[in-house]
Amino acid sequence: MKRVLILATSAVLLLAACSDSNDGEGTTGTTEASGGSGGAEAELTVSAASSLTEAFGEIGDAFEAANPGTTVTFNFGPSDGLAGQINEGAPADVFASASPTWMDSVQDDGPGVTGRADFAQNRLAIIVPADNPAGIEDLDDLTEDGVQLVLAAEGVPAGDYAREIFKNAGISRAALANVVSNEEDVKAVITKVMSGEADAGIGYVTDVTPDVADQVTLIPIPDEVNVIATYPIAVVNGSQEADLAQSFVDYVLGDGQQTLAGFGFLPPP
Amino acid sequence: MATDSRHSPGSASSPLRKGRIPAGFVVLATLGVALVALPLLGLVLRTPWSRVLEILTSETARTALRLSLIVATTAAAISFVLGFPLAWVLVRSTFPGKTLVRAVVILPLVMPPVVAGVGLLAAFGRRSGLIGSWLYDWFGIQLTFTTAAAVLAATFVSFPLAVLALEAGLRGLDERLEDAAATLGASRWYVLRRVTLPLMGPQIAAALVLSWARALGEFGATITFAGNLQGRTQTLPLAVFEQLQTDTDAAFAVSMLLILLAFAVILALRGRFLR
Repeated sequence: MKRVLILATSAVLLLAACSDSNDGEGTTGTTEASGGSGGAEAELTVSAASSLTEAFGEIGDAFEAANPGTTVTFNFGPSDGLAGQINEGAPADVFASASPTWMDSVQDDGPGVTGRADFAQNRLAIIVPADNPAGIEDLDDLTEDGVQLVLAAEGVPAGDYAREIFKNAGISRAALANVVSNEEDVKAVITKVMSGEADAGIGYVTDVTPDVADQVTLIPIPDEVNVIATYPIAVVNGSQEADLAQSFVDYVLGDGQQTLAGFGFLPPP
Repeated sequence: MATDSRHSPGSASSPLRKGRIPAGFVVLATLGVALVALPLLGLVLRTPWSRVLEILTSETARTALRLSLIVATTAAAISFVLGFPLAWVLVRSTFPGKTLVRAVVILPLVMPPVVAGVGLLAAFGRRSGLIGSWLYDWFGIQLTFTTAAAVLAATFVSFPLAVLALEAGLRGLDERLEDAAATLGASRWYVLRRVTLPLMGPQIAAALVLSWARALGEFGATITFAGNLQGRTQTLPLAVFEQLQTDTDAAFAVSMLLILLAFAVILALRGRFLR
């Protein structure tokens, strides 16, 4: 009987490990609080747009340090995919979206949200490999024959913003004809550009982090056609840690602002 | 022949085979079945049956289906054309490093598909690929983001299955029949065409169907190496993945189609799987 129990337990553990490492939607990262002697043990799950990966990673560490015993687990991915997961019942205490649309979706079609607030803004930009193989210098260059252009898929905020920018610039038809891949999220766009397989992609200004700055170059998009992305954050209704979730939201709106600014985000409207 | 079967291990009535089934086994076995059956049941229940026809005849689904069939069929054909000679060499010759060759060829079977995609980039990418950079610099050929890349990814993951099935077929072959034909003056090519290949019919079919099915389901290597573009690289699994973000109903309907295709594969190979 003991052996059966051990077997069953290891099977369950294995399953848990598998579901942890492969949830099919973006990446999951856990950072453990080092202190933990003070407050009660609590775990917070934050679903956040993949463009927030670096900034929220740092904010998560700081929040854990300020709240001993708290573990913040991030689920980074495309905002539309994250909203879909939450609406399907995936556990999330906090949702941070790269577009109001997907916060609306959780608010209206999902479990609902509390304490919603805009916490940052972001600009879109053209991102090219450091050696710029297609010689891209502005938006118009994206319409030239044979340019291998990579966008985030429709529905993904960065993908919708990119298409909006093309429309504003009046280059929709020619630019979209050069699209060779619709990526899962904005980080996947950056990866394809970084590998040098794509000539250009549309991402956020904040995607050119110090880690990748030597591999990609950012080309600004003029303000008159550019889109400013607004990022809302909120506590997801039904959270088991609603109070802690609210303090995380408050932290992002307070001390976290400096971190976000450091990563190139603009203050909320 | 009747006496043969009486002594075969399958009908031996050892206590381990025919005795009481251990209670723990029943529990764990049931859990095992549930593990596989529950997601399938979930898919069936969540499929929007009233919308299925409309979704599956939509342009996205039809384009992805057509591309998937082209990619999987091409991959299975390449796997056979390259896999048969390789299986032949592995079964019928000895050479130093044979075990290593075999291990390398089978590796994609147990390799995470996304790693396969990264590997394909390292070999065929235009920037840093071993062959890809050369193809691009000399001929201006870029494989990434093309249907050829999707075929390459599908072939990479399905090739081992074809080789394994063909190897098994060659091993089970009665070589005396080939020898007899050769003794009667048949050329090697004639023996291959008229004796070896016909005798291996079922195993060749199995190799084709198995590699076709694996190619049809390929996702990770494709999205990493070939990208995702409707009509060019967006196969059915990639379409499911994209639709899951925007139109969940469509994702479930297309998933159902893939399940039915997989089910057809099992039926086609029932002699192999359902004995």
